[in-house]
Amino acid sequence: MHRRVLALATALCLTLAGCSKAKSTDQESGGVKTGPGVTDSAIKLGVLVDLTAVFAGLSKSLVQGSDLFWSQQNAAGGVCGRKVEVVVKDHRYDPQVAVSLYRELSGSVLAMQTVLGSPVMTALRPSIDQDNMFTGFAGWSASVLGDERIVLLGTTYDVEAISGLDYLMREKGIKAGDKVGHVYFEGDFGENALRGSEYLAKQAGLTIVGQKIKASDSDMSAQVAAFRAAGVKAILVSAGPTQTASVAGVAASVGLAVPIVANGPGFTPQLLDTPAGPALKANLYVVSSMAPPALDSDAAQQLQTAFAKQYPDAPPTQVGSLFGYTQARVTKEVLQKACDNKDLTRQGMLDALHSLSNVDTGGLVAGPLDYTKPQQPPTRAVYISKVDASAPGGLVPVGAPVEAEAAKTYQPAG
Amino acid sequence: MNQFVTLLANGVSLGCIDALIALGFVVVFKATRVVNFAHGSLVLLGAYVIGRVHENLGFAGAVLLSVAVTAVVAALVGAVLLRRVRLAEPGTLAVVTLGVDIVLATDLTRRIGTDLLTTGDPWGAKVVTIGTVHIPQTRVAAAVVAVVLVVAFLSVLRFTDWGVALRAAAERQETASLMGIRPGRVAAAAWMLAGGLAATAGLFFTAFPSPGISGSVGQAALGVAVPAAVLGGLDSTTGALVGGLAVGLTATFVAGYQDQLSFLGRGFGGVAPYLVMLLVLLVRPAGLFGGKETTRV
Amino acid sequence: MSRPVRLALGAVAVLLALAAPLSLTSFWLQTGLFVMASAVGAIGLTLLVGVTGQLSLGQAFFVAVGAYGYAFLASDRAGAGERVVYGAGWPPPLAAAGAVLLAGLAGVLFSPIASRLRGIYLGLASLGLVFLGQHILTNASSVTGGFNGRDAAPFRLFGFSFTATNPDVVVLGVPYGALERLWYLGLALLALSWWYARNLVRGRPGRAMAGIRDSEVAAAVMGVDVRRYKAGAFTVSSAYAGLAGVLFAVAYGRIVPDSFGLLMSIDLLAIVIIGGLGSVAGAVAGAVLVTALPLVLSHYSGALPFLAQPGEDGIGAAEAARMLYGAAIVAVLLFAPGGLAQLVRRTPSTKEQDHAQTSTGAGDSALPDPGRV
Repeated sequence: MHRRVLALATALCLTLAGCSKAKSTDQESGGVKTGPGVTDSAIKLGVLVDLTAVFAGLSKSLVQGSDLFWSQQNAAGGVCGRKVEVVVKDHRYDPQVAVSLYRELSGSVLAMQTVLGSPVMTALRPSIDQDNMFTGFAGWSASVLGDERIVLLGTTYDVEAISGLDYLMREKGIKAGDKVGHVYFEGDFGENALRGSEYLAKQAGLTIVGQKIKASDSDMSAQVAAFRAAGVKAILVSAGPTQTASVAGVAASVGLAVPIVANGPGFTPQLLDTPAGPALKANLYVVSSMAPPALDSDAAQQLQTAFAKQYPDAPPTQVGSLFGYTQARVTKEVLQKACDNKDLTRQGMLDALHSLSNVDTGGLVAGPLDYTKPQQPPTRAVYISKVDASAPGGLVPVGAPVEAEAAKTYQPAG
Repeated sequence: MNQFVTLLANGVSLGCIDALIALGFVVVFKATRVVNFAHGSLVLLGAYVIGRVHENLGFAGAVLLSVAVTAVVAALVGAVLLRRVRLAEPGTLAVVTLGVDIVLATDLTRRIGTDLLTTGDPWGAKVVTIGTVHIPQTRVAAAVVAVVLVVAFLSVLRFTDWGVALRAAAERQETASLMGIRPGRVAAAAWMLAGGLAATAGLFFTAFPSPGISGSVGQAALGVAVPAAVLGGLDSTTGALVGGLAVGLTATFVAGYQDQLSFLGRGFGGVAPYLVMLLVLLVRPAGLFGGKETTRV
Repeated sequence: MSRPVRLALGAVAVLLALAAPLSLTSFWLQTGLFVMASAVGAIGLTLLVGVTGQLSLGQAFFVAVGAYGYAFLASDRAGAGERVVYGAGWPPPLAAAGAVLLAGLAGVLFSPIASRLRGIYLGLASLGLVFLGQHILTNASSVTGGFNGRDAAPFRLFGFSFTATNPDVVVLGVPYGALERLWYLGLALLALSWWYARNLVRGRPGRAMAGIRDSEVAAAVMGVDVRRYKAGAFTVSSAYAGLAGVLFAVAYGRIVPDSFGLLMSIDLLAIVIIGGLGSVAGAVAGAVLVTALPLVLSHYSGALPFLAQPGEDGIGAAEAARMLYGAAIVAVLLFAPGGLAQLVRRTPSTKEQDHAQTSTGAGDSALPDPGRV
């Protein structure tokens, strides 16, 4: 027995000694300074998304987009003579799990290409700052502005809300004195959007009727009843796709035929097959910096063809696959710039990012992206799209990207 | 006033669905003293089966298949637990159902993936209009089905041998066994019944005005079942009905009058049923209709 | 196992725990801290569930009170205008003690309900606390920081800071950063919790509580003030949860309401039941299994070839890890209803076994117990 204990103890000691601490220090190879996760032949990037909980569908779509981009890019020679490898981890939308997984990843990757979810991002921020980690955000909350390590792709929710209301006033006959309903999620997304809608309401003399909901609420009957009682002329939805469908369906069924504007995350093409489909086709507009997948531009058309070939069963989605693809593409631009500077370290990534003032995504994101001012969103332009069941992704753009007058002078803040 | 009536109608019809969910939860508890944390996943399973097969089997066929599948799965869960039911205490069995819930919910979420399944019900987005009040047809159907099922269930409980056996087993297991009642069979039937109820509830829970079947349905259903069952009394079928109605009405009214209730913090609608539950428990520790746990030495 | 062997094993475990930061990477240290915090919370819960027979699913609420209490008391005021987050700026050890007291106080406030309900009713009722708590945490933003949470001040003790610097510490060539230092803080708090719980269980209060679990009436007849002890047990377990919250707050540096949801409550309950009700050591073992298993599974599952890659159809690593976790809970409890503690104790004689089973009929003691009358 004693011997067994001794053997066990020895084994444990050896195991402990075996996994010695990996030092993540910068090195140099081939004239290029390299950081953690970079070897002569490969660059590792991290992706932290939710593969098993509420955002599982969106995350899967996002990972598909990212995979598509990197498989194309690696086939064309990679970046800086290296193949890019993406390590995907599932944080289950649980901030604590995310922190542990981030620690697991952080030693072995150069940068985090994608981190999904505001609560997760908030919990990770101290670690991100400590590691000086370039971190792409899957979300558009203004609360991350000013953190020079967190990379937004597109504009923030409040600017989207302003642009959406601005569109309603320009094109849909909403005027000063009207009431507008706003259904919004508790938390970053919804409250950030509410800040935008209230800003514009003040400027333009509108009244916002707010209805705060939780992500688990899916039946919007009570909210729509309140809107109907208040006599709203339009509805803004800053929530998930299920809530958008419920709002549109219920509003139509009770005779509240008003235009509905949703933030980007509030729509997926699968909604069109639900009973709310006809109502969505009639009344819904989507406002987002991300292009609708059916955009008539070379980049969007190529992406659509390649995506349909790779994933024939999955519909392309605006804030899912198209976003994942574009985020990978922008990350590549930054990697390329860092490579040109001969500095593939974490600081090198950030330096490269902040030197980019005019990233062109071929229209996949509205407007050129300017990353030189961390206090500002990289763009203030958005696409307004309307529902079209026959288009891939279910959306077609209404005109070119727009930058609302009120959005130009507005200072976003979380 | 108009808004009040609209909310009342919405609340009652939503409450009927909540009552169906709570009833399944209570039936299992009454028969086996197990708090079934997997009940939400059973609701999700029921909805999922309908969503997947209604295009091939038609709506009625899909509902029948779904009720059957969910009942069988529930019975299997019950059978696995039953082997240990006499060895372990209720808390342990509750945690086992938690494990089952994790497995079921994860697999169903994976299967649903990026899809948003619909129930394919014949009512669609149509509404019934009475005066200025609009009620979705699905909700009317839900109320009718709930009433029919509940009346049927109460008659079964009252008049059939199984009903008597269930009540006897719930009353006092040992004595019931001595009287020749087989607790195993009673429990198995209760689990199947709970599965069937879960599938029916799943249909209406995900039909219009809810948008469709997504992975989060299970958690939402459990979130309804717990306050409804507890405030009504965990071992009372009447309690489940009253509790379900109370939860539906509370959530609807608090959300509908959010502007007037903003001092409670916005978004209180989802929390209010739990507050009502706690207040009820302060006055009646076993819920409104729960059997008082008598103490014998 | 004989006593010397157990002692030897214990000594080895302690040595390994002390030496661990020398070689563990930050992932394992973070996971370890997470486990320690869960273990502290679970010890408190096992006192309540296992010893008194009171079931609680509201533990996450009290953990939140501890975590936010510490963050409020120890941090300085931050932000301005609408976004101001208040703080008391106390010295961290004082703030930690205050947070534990605050959590205990919250337990006292809940005791009108806790002392009247039992078993599963209390469990489900306390679930209500979790939802109410989350609502308060997201709405009382001047104290809690709202949905985005707030920063918690790093821990300091007698001028020694549990951060990467101040003073710099290097042990055997390994620089000791925040996680390495917090590791020892976690170990110390865990040891303290363990020691206190064991004394409680073995002392007079422990016997009174066990009496309540086995039969409230019998305990009352023996002169135990049942209501007072039930409320007391709830308070102590809340204070434990508060201590776990403090550890969470300092280990993560930033706390958000989402962390203290139903999931945490459920995990804590799963820990004590898997560990074996009433067993303090079991609670610690359960914490390792429940908290670390999903992380470790996802750490290694990426290497399994038959799993689908993220984005592909089929069962991916993340799903497999989650399902294995669920299946592990079921398997442990079906094959060892007494939890891990039962596995270690090996088979007691049949007579003992009978007694163990009948006497853990928590919440179901209304039925006369033929084996004991």
